[in-house]
Amino acid sequence: MIPIRENAGRPTPFAVRLGRWGGFALTHAVLIAGAMFMLLPFVWMLVTSIRPQAEVFESIFGLLPSRFAGPENYGYALSKAPLLRFMLNGVIVCAGILAVQLLVAIPCAYALAKLRFPGRTAMFVLVLLGLCIPIQVPALPLYIGLAHLGLLNTYFSMMLPFFLSVFAIFLFRQFFRGFPDEIIHAARLDGVSEFEIVWRIVVPSAGPAIAAFAVFSVVAHWNDLYWPLIVISETRLAPPALGMMYFNDSESGANYGALTAGATILTAPLVLTFLLARRRFIQGITMTGLK
Amino acid sequence: MAQAATMASPAAPPRRTPGRRQAIIESLAGMGFAFPAFLLLCLTILVPLGVLVWLSFTSYELGAIDLNYVGLDNFRKAMADPVFRRSLTTTFVYVAIVLPGSVIGGLLIALLIHRRRRSRGLYEVIYFLPVTSTLIAMATVWMFLLHPRLGPISGALRAMGFGEVAFLSEPSLVLPTLAVIGIWQLVGFNMILFLAGLSAVPRELYEAAAVDGCHNPIDRFLTVTWPLLGPTVMFVVVTTSITAFKAFDTIAVMTRGGPMGASEVLLYTVYLEGFQYFHIGYAAALTLIFLAFILIFAVTQALTLDRRVHYG
Amino acid sequence: MSFIRRLTAAAALTGLIAGPAAAQTTLDVLYAFPSFARFHEPVAAEFMKKHPDIKIQFRAPAPSYDEGHQTMLRQAMTNQLPDVYYSGYHLLAELVRTLVKRGQIVDLGPMLAAEGEAFRKANYADRIQALGKVDGKLYGMAFNASTPIMYYNVDLVKKAGGNPDKMPDTWNGVVGLAKKIKAQGADVNGMAYDIHGWPDDWLWRALILQAGGKMLNDAGTAVAFGGETGLNALKLSRRFVTEGGMQPIDWDQSRQQFAAGKIGIYFASPANARQITDLVGSKFAFRTTTFPVDNKEKGGLPTGGNAALITSKDPAKQKAAWQFLKFVTSPEAQKIVVEMTGYLPTNIKATEKAYLGGFYEANPNFRAPVLQVERSLPWEGYPGGNAVRIWRSQRDIVTAVMRGEATPEAGLERMVKETNAMMK
Repeated sequence: MIPIRENAGRPTPFAVRLGRWGGFALTHAVLIAGAMFMLLPFVWMLVTSIRPQAEVFESIFGLLPSRFAGPENYGYALSKAPLLRFMLNGVIVCAGILAVQLLVAIPCAYALAKLRFPGRTAMFVLVLLGLCIPIQVPALPLYIGLAHLGLLNTYFSMMLPFFLSVFAIFLFRQFFRGFPDEIIHAARLDGVSEFEIVWRIVVPSAGPAIAAFAVFSVVAHWNDLYWPLIVISETRLAPPALGMMYFNDSESGANYGALTAGATILTAPLVLTFLLARRRFIQGITMTGLK
Repeated sequence: MAQAATMASPAAPPRRTPGRRQAIIESLAGMGFAFPAFLLLCLTILVPLGVLVWLSFTSYELGAIDLNYVGLDNFRKAMADPVFRRSLTTTFVYVAIVLPGSVIGGLLIALLIHRRRRSRGLYEVIYFLPVTSTLIAMATVWMFLLHPRLGPISGALRAMGFGEVAFLSEPSLVLPTLAVIGIWQLVGFNMILFLAGLSAVPRELYEAAAVDGCHNPIDRFLTVTWPLLGPTVMFVVVTTSITAFKAFDTIAVMTRGGPMGASEVLLYTVYLEGFQYFHIGYAAALTLIFLAFILIFAVTQALTLDRRVHYG
Repeated sequence: MSFIRRLTAAAALTGLIAGPAAAQTTLDVLYAFPSFARFHEPVAAEFMKKHPDIKIQFRAPAPSYDEGHQTMLRQAMTNQLPDVYYSGYHLLAELVRTLVKRGQIVDLGPMLAAEGEAFRKANYADRIQALGKVDGKLYGMAFNASTPIMYYNVDLVKKAGGNPDKMPDTWNGVVGLAKKIKAQGADVNGMAYDIHGWPDDWLWRALILQAGGKMLNDAGTAVAFGGETGLNALKLSRRFVTEGGMQPIDWDQSRQQFAAGKIGIYFASPANARQITDLVGSKFAFRTTTFPVDNKEKGGLPTGGNAALITSKDPAKQKAAWQFLKFVTSPEAQKIVVEMTGYLPTNIKATEKAYLGGFYEANPNFRAPVLQVERSLPWEGYPGGNAVRIWRSQRDIVTAVMRGEATPEAGLERMVKETNAMMK
């Protein structure tokens, strides 16, 4: 017998409504405080990118510059360093990395989540090990290996260490574990091969996870600097983060206007990617009647 | 309700289907699917690690033509090295601040914006922005914001009656400051992961709980949300702690280990030894010790949380 | 089999680069600090106009001297060295000695001698040339050179009762003036000498050398600043904070503060002159002048900057590279460099009226390094290949002394001990 609360159906008393309003106000107060903390650096970045150099360190609260130096800073940033070329390189490298990451990680994650095979635990431990290893660790041996193969200074060399994304394997494995077994068994009984099960049945339901991972992957590798700096010696292949260095180095100091203008130009695509993936992400969630 | 029960325990092992043939197909498929990942793992992680292990037994310096074998000398040296021990402590303190800060922060924000309809999108973008930031530019920005004389944060402190604070130049303050910046970078990331996890909690459960007498949000959270978020929480905690352990970029760009080594974390020490002083053999040994620590840390966490999530 | 593949590839590549006109040579050039593109590119463009048969191609610039040094070492291992590299002076000896052992660097002595003694004397001062010498042989042609200078806020100096046209040229004088500046206002710092934040030991060396001291003993086996010179330098650093009103903050933040008008006297590289001019704008008047030197007869200053060296193995490219090196150290090229940066020109003729004369008249703030060129001393590293680590530990000690956490005596003792230990 499901117990029925006595108040069910009566209009909500004033105290409860006040409580709800208080909750609303408190929630947004917290969110807005947090948002200000998140946004503060970006506000300064944008404000500085439109200020002339001489006013860069004026108080952040006197927001309007005496002279709108936006075109000057952005123009300088675009002309002094081939930012558009760098962004193109960023797109190529991130797309290549993401494609291979998905192709490799999804089957592996499915296998770890759903299939029994020899070496499964060992593989999972190895995956966990991979998660712990930052790029600095294999950097030198990988560099020497690539040098011997004559593959340095190529897009491939920039992408290679990142083809295996243990984060993706881990993420998708967690996700696939929640996938109902009944559907898989039904498909097997229908004679569908494991390969098709993965790509035709399981993957489409993983849309949100794939979207989320895509965002993470792109964001992580768009801003990569350490590894590309080691393997790339030509500017025409350089990634976006290298572009920032044209406006800031320890020898002559930073051209703050150009630096922030350049940073804004380079960050914009990332924000756009997130905006696009976010809608797909939400779409995926509201669609899941399957859950 | 039965379906919810299945949802609630996603870790239940796949039911053993009858037939040896099926089992063989599963094994083959499993190995085949995992093979490309395994291959890449060998090439990009295991082989370089092997090379590193070999190097750690030598006294190789970058650019030298020859190298000598020194056995376990490098490891002995590391254990006795005060700089290494100090960076070990520094790293642990950093993780101790960043881990709870960014996990709880991410969870809190995710919970707060999960139900909003109109403002949710806006908040998501705002909180995710730091994750997209490019470090070289952000380093400059933060250094200005934290400037003891010119920066707005000091300005606010002064307006409230406190004196100037040199956030990045005081040895006792630099690590917490860097940790706060670390939290700033990670909260949005964790928030997204928690939002994904929260979206997997079926609404019917909340309704059922409400009917069962659970009215205020805290009760709802403890009874329904928290248990179902188990796997997500575990994932977030493990990845965040590993990320925090691997901290390098902000330190390298903003403080370069200073002042007086107060912000020198493990990976930065390794970088200095290997790429600044060129003691590749020694740096390799340090890297292996670092890996050992992080593995123990991560695996312990994974196992403890895994047990608690599925049996606790 | 892979050797043949590589050989064919290399041959094909050379064929491609050489092009149909077999006379075209391409030189691969590497430098540090991407922002230096602003003078490397115009200089290379001028060179290519004069030598249409030589093409200059720049590799992606290294973020700093240290990273460039690492890149060179890595590429030496994998045989991918560029043809020309601009090495920071303090790392030159280490790099040269490593490359000499591997036979991957060119001795420039014979090439310079072939130009004739008259040419050398007319263009290159002995002091400047010495910057590129290692173990008695010339391996690098000095391209950029700078010695530390003093920037000061004219308004603040006047308000404190100082004379902006005759700034103090001893350290006691400077600290005294800084003290008066600090007394003027609560939010003004008297001075800033960012030795605690500098990435290399340039500013520390400056304090030792300007007092007539030496860094290493003659044999090069132990430090020579363990006596009074070192002690005075440490005591002086502490006085900067206690009397001169200095705050040990990050060096970038320090520069920002000077540009905001909140520091009276500021010590830095002349390479910052352009940036500071832009940042200051018209907020206040600032000027530069020579570094204070206590020991007027023997005092010197460490010269920062870089020298161009040739690491090509192909004789044709080596000849082309020498032409390039001669050009970048010529008065025309140096004029371009100095106008963009404020560096000291490394060619004697460059300061003549025909080249930089007018520029210096119009921009007196850029002239300071030229006025102290006679005090230039080489900036060597330490033997043993641990220069970077030595400076890091020295810097920690100096910082501790400045913050009052260690006495100058104790600090000096530790410094000498640790440095000597790391020089082995």
